Amino acid sequence: MKNPSIIGRNLTLGYQKGKLLKEVVESLDFELYAGELTCLLGPNGVGKSTLIKAILGQLPPWNGELLIDQKEVSTLSISELAKTLAVVLTDPVFPGNMTVGQLVALGRVVHTDWTGRLGKDDKIAVKNALSLTKIGYLENERLSEISDGQRQKAMIARALAQDSGILILDEPTAHLDLVNRYEIMHLLREISHKENKAVLVVTHDLEIAIETADQFWILNCGIPLISGIPEELVISGKINHLLPGEKFHFDVDKGRIKKKSEKDNWKIIGDPVYRYWVKKALEKAEVNLQESQIQVNQSPFSVEFEGKSFATLRDFISFLIKK
Amino acid sequence: MKKNSSTTYLLVALILLIFSFLINVSLGSVSISIPEIVSGMFSGNWTKSSHEQIILNYRLPKAILAILAGVGLSISGLQMQTFFRNPLAGPFVLGISSGSGLGVAILILASSALGLGMGSGINPWATVIAGTLGAGLVLVIVSLVAWRIKDSMTLLIVGLMFGSAVSAVISVLSYFSGAEALKIFTVWSMGSLGGLVWEQVSVLTFIILLGIIPMVLSIKSYNAMLLGESYARSMGINPTRLRWLMILSTGILAGSITAFCGPIAFIGIAVPHLARMVWKSVDHRILFPASAVLGAILLLICDAIGQIPGSAQTLPINAVTSLIGAPIVISLVLKKNFSKEF
Repeated sequence: MKNPSIIGRNLTLGYQKGKLLKEVVESLDFELYAGELTCLLGPNGVGKSTLIKAILGQLPPWNGELLIDQKEVSTLSISELAKTLAVVLTDPVFPGNMTVGQLVALGRVVHTDWTGRLGKDDKIAVKNALSLTKIGYLENERLSEISDGQRQKAMIARALAQDSGILILDEPTAHLDLVNRYEIMHLLREISHKENKAVLVVTHDLEIAIETADQFWILNCGIPLISGIPEELVISGKINHLLPGEKFHFDVDKGRIKKKSEKDNWKIIGDPVYRYWVKKALEKAEVNLQESQIQVNQSPFSVEFEGKSFATLRDFISFLIKK
Repeated sequence: MKKNSSTTYLLVALILLIFSFLINVSLGSVSISIPEIVSGMFSGNWTKSSHEQIILNYRLPKAILAILAGVGLSISGLQMQTFFRNPLAGPFVLGISSGSGLGVAILILASSALGLGMGSGINPWATVIAGTLGAGLVLVIVSLVAWRIKDSMTLLIVGLMFGSAVSAVISVLSYFSGAEALKIFTVWSMGSLGGLVWEQVSVLTFIILLGIIPMVLSIKSYNAMLLGESYARSMGINPTRLRWLMILSTGILAGSITAFCGPIAFIGIAVPHLARMVWKSVDHRILFPASAVLGAILLLICDAIGQIPGSAQTLPINAVTSLIGAPIVISLVLKKNFSKEF
């Protein structure tokens, strides 16, 4: 068994404002491994960012241990930490005139001499980072002239160029479109496996995370940190700790979040895929449950109900609502 | 921009600097041709001995002073803008010029109030020492505050407030002082590159070189700071160390220049932006030399304009830099993608 890159034991974190002490998370236990993509999930305000801050050495723990590569975080200097750990933060400040190549080269800051001149190794590292993130073609583009998704990849490339064993990303897919979200998460998975890095991603994209993560950390108020393989957390129902309210629960069949009130009493016949989506539409429109049978026909699409035929779902739903 | 073309631009700027230096020395109440200056300086052949006197004892020290002040103020401004991530930061945001002003104000105004009657023949060394003491005092107090606060934005606000408070003290002093002393102080506060002798110029040269050292040591850190403090820290840069180096460097540069020449506005704010626009770069390895050379050129030109060639009258340097600097800053702010380019 290999050693974990980051270990938290009985870790308690909080802030101090004057005499007021505010505890944020209590007695967390976790281990982060190299070669794995770990996703940290949990609602806003539960202490995810606080935990990240502590790992970055910016917040001394109140209690417990926090070890990075077997060393207590507080004993590591800023540059030692920079050599073991690279980050992509949520801070949106970017100098527009900087090129992607310059941004990625900044990842080498901790390795270069006082002038910051890039040596042979540094240039190779920059090149590798650009090719791993598949943005080599953007090298001379300015940050103000590329898309949000490309910029996020450039930020990941910068972190990669830092050549550290651990990568930490705070919501790297927020504000991105669906394709970019998938692309970036798969990219991170690829990086963790290929480069044998320990990658920790804070995310709210549960469905994408289930598909890509090797390990889940679930953090929520009042419970200890739950960790495990995502699929296992789904089977055991522990994933529902993410959804503590009465309203939603995690649908094990479909692998997605569902309203709890959704019932299966509709009498719909036809192709299973068609049945599923027609039922969803009816539930969303909040039409009353019908006693009669609904038949869904494929090509051309039509819905037959009590002797009537409807060509679109919109017609059918407005008929049911009027009824 | 490719590295080679950046260097080419720098070389062009250096040639421009030499030209503006010669033009600056040649223009004035008596126009002396550039060939005569060159032959006079290298072989000692002056057509008139009065020309030798004017060039060697008056115009050369003044032109060198313009270069020193231009370099120092621009480099201070660039450091402040990058450190505070604020395009409107300048060398005086930490209240250093106000501190210098306070020192000189106390010297001129208080001494006249006490009836010491310094009159118009005030010793230039006296203002320099008073200005240095004032700037140093403010620097020490700002540092004490900086010790306590972690957030750089708070430091910026504290610095600005400090400047206002010190200016208020100067206003109170002015209110109670006589017309003669008030005029001397007002003239000082308009800035002047003239009236200094070689001795003072060489002292300032030494101080400016001293002030540049902390900046040279932190070029890499300033590049990292472009992504903000959190990223800089994650890349192995210690923001607290950088903050002290920044306070030290800008304190020495801006403080000494204000003490020797009086407050000179706008150069420190406008020149770093000009350098970014011309060089289209954010790399401080380019921006520092670029700002230094541009600052020197701009101040030489401003000074030449202020001489009003052919007339015995001169305009105060602060007024000229503001007249040129204000349109530059306004056009920058009006420029559409100004914030993106910063």
